[in-house]
Amino acid sequence: MSRIALALTINGQRHDVLTEAHRTLLDVLRADLGLTGTKENCLEGECGVCTVLLDGMAVDSCLLLAAQCQGREIVTIEGVSSRGGDDVLARAFIDCGAVQCGYCIPGMIISATAFLDEHPSPSEAEVREALAGNLCRCTGYQKIVDAVLAAGRTSGTETRGDAR
Amino acid sequence: MSFDFHEPASIAEAVALAARFGTEARFLAGGTDLLVQIRRKRVAPRHVVSLHRVPGLDTIDANGEIRLGALVTHRALERAPAFQGALRALVEGARVVGGHQIRNVGTVGGNIVNASPAADVVPVLLVLDAAVTCVGPNGAREMKLDEFLLGPGETALRPDELLTSIRFPAPALRSATGFLKAGRRRAMEISVVCVAVWLSLDGDDRCAGVRISLGAVGPRALRSCDRPVESSPRTVSRSRTSAHRQPTGGFSWKHSFRARSGQR
Repeated sequence: MSRIALALTINGQRHDVLTEAHRTLLDVLRADLGLTGTKENCLEGECGVCTVLLDGMAVDSCLLLAAQCQGREIVTIEGVSSRGGDDVLARAFIDCGAVQCGYCIPGMIISATAFLDEHPSPSEAEVREALAGNLCRCTGYQKIVDAVLAAGRTSGTETRGDAR
Repeated sequence: MSFDFHEPASIAEAVALAARFGTEARFLAGGTDLLVQIRRKRVAPRHVVSLHRVPGLDTIDANGEIRLGALVTHRALERAPAFQGALRALVEGARVVGGHQIRNVGTVGGNIVNASPAADVVPVLLVLDAAVTCVGPNGAREMKLDEFLLGPGETALRPDELLTSIRFPAPALRSATGFLKAGRRRAMEISVVCVAVWLSLDGDDRCAGVRISLGAVGPRALRSCDRPVESSPRTVSRSRTSAHRQPTGGFSWKHSFRARSGQR
């Protein structure tokens, strides 16, 4: 079976990876690079715990071959806070008590990051729609939605991170 | 799962790979469905032919006739300025597919070729009278989407062919489209039923043409046959109440849907 040499830019850092063609970005992130903040669960694009940013867009890393990411820019939960202003989002999740077991939270933060980049002052309905691809079985979502709305308000008054 | 990964740089090269490996090969567009099928062991390709290095497959051309490359994502359909008016059903159909993560990657070509009876963009393309272009080793052929779709997971695409683009006419001046979906939840749900409508009016507010397509209620999305609609002037009103009236004119569901249900 052929192995493929890939140059992946992850959280601003270049990683040279040699991997089999069938392995997903999620496999490489967790097993090869030790970036275990991105979670693994349904492997079918239903739950969103594996969400990462690919060229700024939220994608399910379980449904993306690592080979598809050659030359593209990936941001994981480990890299999101290094984007500076996005700590606003993590802070809002803490302040709103939006985290219970925590398993869905990395995916939630990544989806919310991509969403707020495009919609700086969203409505509650827009936030709920934006998080439709991220399941949480603990919180009932209300506090997560509150956190994203709060982060939107905060970043509306402060300057959001331009470290992208 | 294990396979070799190919990244052709042209349609010709992609098709040559498909011809060489036959049923052992699968094209990879967004991959959001293919990877799930591989994991579920429904397919086990030995060769995956990625289309991402093939130039031009991800473009939307809306100067006059509309042409969608097969790799146009649902995200791109949602955001295309050309689809915010009379073609809005494309936006409405694209935005209810999966979550953002799926729509950012999943493609319109993949949605068609997978031939799910519940594919949400397909009824919209059917009412727009879309045609698909398929390229094989012996060149390109075009057929109506209505003829391309055969049944669940079944299309007229040959194993060595690649669906490269979808085209349909620019919207007429007084025409509109709409799309509605009913699922058990409001998001992340396969349609229980979805419906797309295209409607065109003449200068006297007479209904000049209508096409209706239903998804998820048959082995493939169903489309009303084209037939002239007789309507008296101003039977199509902008008021909400009149929309609930019985349709006038010779349009019968029973007779105008192709009798495909008897096939399976």
